[in-house]
Amino acid sequence: MDILFLLVPFSVVLALLIVGLLAWAVWSGQFEDVDKEGERILDDQA
Amino acid sequence: MSADAPVASPDWARPWSDAADGANQDALALDAPQAWAEFSQPVDADALVWQSQLRVEGMRCAACALTVEQTLARLPGVQSVRVSSAARRAAIVWSAQASRPSEWLAAIAKLGYRLSPDVDAGLQRQGQHEARLLLWRWLVAGFCMMQVMMYAYPAYMAEPGTITPDIEQLLRWASWVLSLPVLLFSAQPFFANAWRDLLERRISMDLPVALGLLITFGISSVATFEPQGRWGAEVYFDSLTMFVFFLLSGRWQEGRLRERTAGSLDALMQRLPMTVERRCSDGRFERIAARQLRLGDVLRVLPGQAFVADGELIEGQTQVDESLLSGESRPLHRNRGSAVLAGSYNLQAPVLMQVGSLGQSTRYAQIVALMQQAALDKPRLALLADRVARPFLWTVLALALAVVLLYEDPVRGLMAAVAVLVVTCPCALSLATPSALLASAGWLARQGVLVRRLQALERLTTVDTVLLDKTGTLTEARLGLREITLAPGRKHWSPAQALQAACALAQSSLHPLSRALLIEGQRRWPDAPWAQWRLLNVQELSGQGLQGQTVGDGWPGLQDQLKLGHAEFCGAPSQAQGDQGLQVYLADEQGPIARFEFDEVLREDAQALLAQLGRAGLQVHLVSGDRQASVARLAERLGLAADQLHGQCSPQDKLALLQALQAQGRRVLMIGDGLNDAPVLAQADVSMAVGSSVPLAQAQADVVLPTASLGLILVLREQARRSMRIVRQNLVWAAAYNAVCVPLALTGWLPSWAAGLGMALSSLWVVLNAARLSRPPAMPAPSRA
Repeated sequence: MDILFLLVPFSVVLALLIVGLLAWAVWSGQFEDVDKEGERILDDQA
Repeated sequence: MSADAPVASPDWARPWSDAADGANQDALALDAPQAWAEFSQPVDADALVWQSQLRVEGMRCAACALTVEQTLARLPGVQSVRVSSAARRAAIVWSAQASRPSEWLAAIAKLGYRLSPDVDAGLQRQGQHEARLLLWRWLVAGFCMMQVMMYAYPAYMAEPGTITPDIEQLLRWASWVLSLPVLLFSAQPFFANAWRDLLERRISMDLPVALGLLITFGISSVATFEPQGRWGAEVYFDSLTMFVFFLLSGRWQEGRLRERTAGSLDALMQRLPMTVERRCSDGRFERIAARQLRLGDVLRVLPGQAFVADGELIEGQTQVDESLLSGESRPLHRNRGSAVLAGSYNLQAPVLMQVGSLGQSTRYAQIVALMQQAALDKPRLALLADRVARPFLWTVLALALAVVLLYEDPVRGLMAAVAVLVVTCPCALSLATPSALLASAGWLARQGVLVRRLQALERLTTVDTVLLDKTGTLTEARLGLREITLAPGRKHWSPAQALQAACALAQSSLHPLSRALLIEGQRRWPDAPWAQWRLLNVQELSGQGLQGQTVGDGWPGLQDQLKLGHAEFCGAPSQAQGDQGLQVYLADEQGPIARFEFDEVLREDAQALLAQLGRAGLQVHLVSGDRQASVARLAERLGLAADQLHGQCSPQDKLALLQALQAQGRRVLMIGDGLNDAPVLAQADVSMAVGSSVPLAQAQADVVLPTASLGLILVLREQARRSMRIVRQNLVWAAAYNAVCVPLALTGWLPSWAAGLGMALSSLWVVLNAARLSRPPAMPAPSRA
């Protein structure tokens, strides 16, 4: 089970990275209009 | 007014059709660079390229947003456009040399939507910042919670002895690291509120939450760093993060709910900047923004426009509609020298007025001031959860202290005290009320009832008196045709023909009675047969009526002069009985043809509402600014007793009535729509704005009913009672849980993992119980009290 000494700290770092990524997503406005992204696929021109 | 009018119009009176361009004129005022700063920012240093925020109304789906985007993008000078259909906003980047705001407004108006500048953009940006911050806090809490639970899982599931101590230590460390962001960042709002409460020497739910979080984290940290120490090796990071996550979920939902109700209100409060036509020294009229007015300015007000200031009419005569200010349902006559009020509407003819008071000294502003004062005087009802929480918190702290003092072994005593504090987690208690009220508010919003303040749901269950406004609330804001009586001896006419002839005359008039005739005519004959009949010389004589000359065929009678108006104007004998103001005659040169009688149109569910309210044991009062006679007439139709009527009430009178009732110890629900209701809406225990109410009334009300379907009021009441039942269940559960667990913790019988699990499960149970409120009631509620 020694591998856990590598995996657990790695997962902590990964979790923190994900939280940072979410911050970027929230602050760049990606969660503002969630419905619009789904409907963009129906757009003919853009 | 046609070109052949026998009386020459004063040269300052423009033809009626120009009033429709008024909206375009307002748009032109936006082209002035000084106006841009309100809703735009320059993008580059030379201010050649600007970015503007606008509101878009009328969009129903994403395809509409696409259309608006593409139309705007094709205009010359527009560099980029982004339209959001959910937020109903557009952001345009444009070049100041090649594009003008009025072009965008005109282009979009042609499509059938409405653009208006978003002057609240600054406030909106701040609101957006807060919403994003809350969302991020919630996401951090959520992800960290999930990861921490994964680390805690082995401790729950493994057989004792199968996990080596160093792996255990590793897992505890990892949990500690990931709980740090949750405590330091996500739980910020709770700590900030608790600190503020301490400074103000108050107790709210955030204080026990903050206390619990700190203690839990403290004990768990000590256990992480010193597992061999006296505090033991139990950690509670999983309960901690889950607790924060649930609480933040509640806050986030509340924020979204508020955003949703605010969104529909904002749309009503947005207007193009008000512009008025002011007479210059050389006699011309210039269009300026309303806030540039000064006392003594002379303004021209066209029919269909509102008066922007209090003042005096100096030329012309007209009829005005003051129903939103005073509740008066009939149009009032105004001559030269009469006073006009800011906020009333000009109905009939162009007039010139001189500004007498502006801004804070207008009647409108006085009502607003009254309303703001009333809001401060609103009785504060201690909420149920707060009443329970306060003694609970003190008891818990006292118990913990007692335990520490009474145990012989101080270490074990401290451990037991900690167990008490941890297990009596205020989770269930602090989640009990918000979760239930939020779920209810969400369900109600789907039914069409917008709850702006959640505490109103709780207060609604204690209400015993209802004050109802009349005009616009119980009645629709228009008059309806009730009866057509033919004059004796006019054999060639039928009631239908009389109505059609009246509609032909009434087409060009804004008078409420003309509108009522047209609405009835369009209801009966959607293809409007009278539109082909031609009339010459149509004149509207203020205070008397309309007249015109028939020409061509299609008319039922001979070529004739037709009149539509008061009894004397049409040569009919005036009736001794009946309300003179609500009767209109149609006459030709031979004499009167028919009489039309009007009445206020009651909303369809008004009767049912009053019956249900009476059955529920609530005392109902009808307060109105309208004349006593019309109030009495309506009350007769509704079956109300004389002591329940209050007519001719000014806003101060209405407020005085409310205060008298509240002084008797009654809890009052106010339902209204007009500006004159705003002060009462601010001070009533629960307030509701109905239908297309004045934005100010909506801003004060606890609940907004945009569709004015009064039956929803009873749905709301039933849902409020369901909510309070669930809240009480939650509180009882929280109390029972604590009553069982505290003795166990005190005697040292409660293993710490059970304490943590209990903390988490109690929160979960409360939330799930509250979720029952987002479904429709199990059975149709019988109309019992």
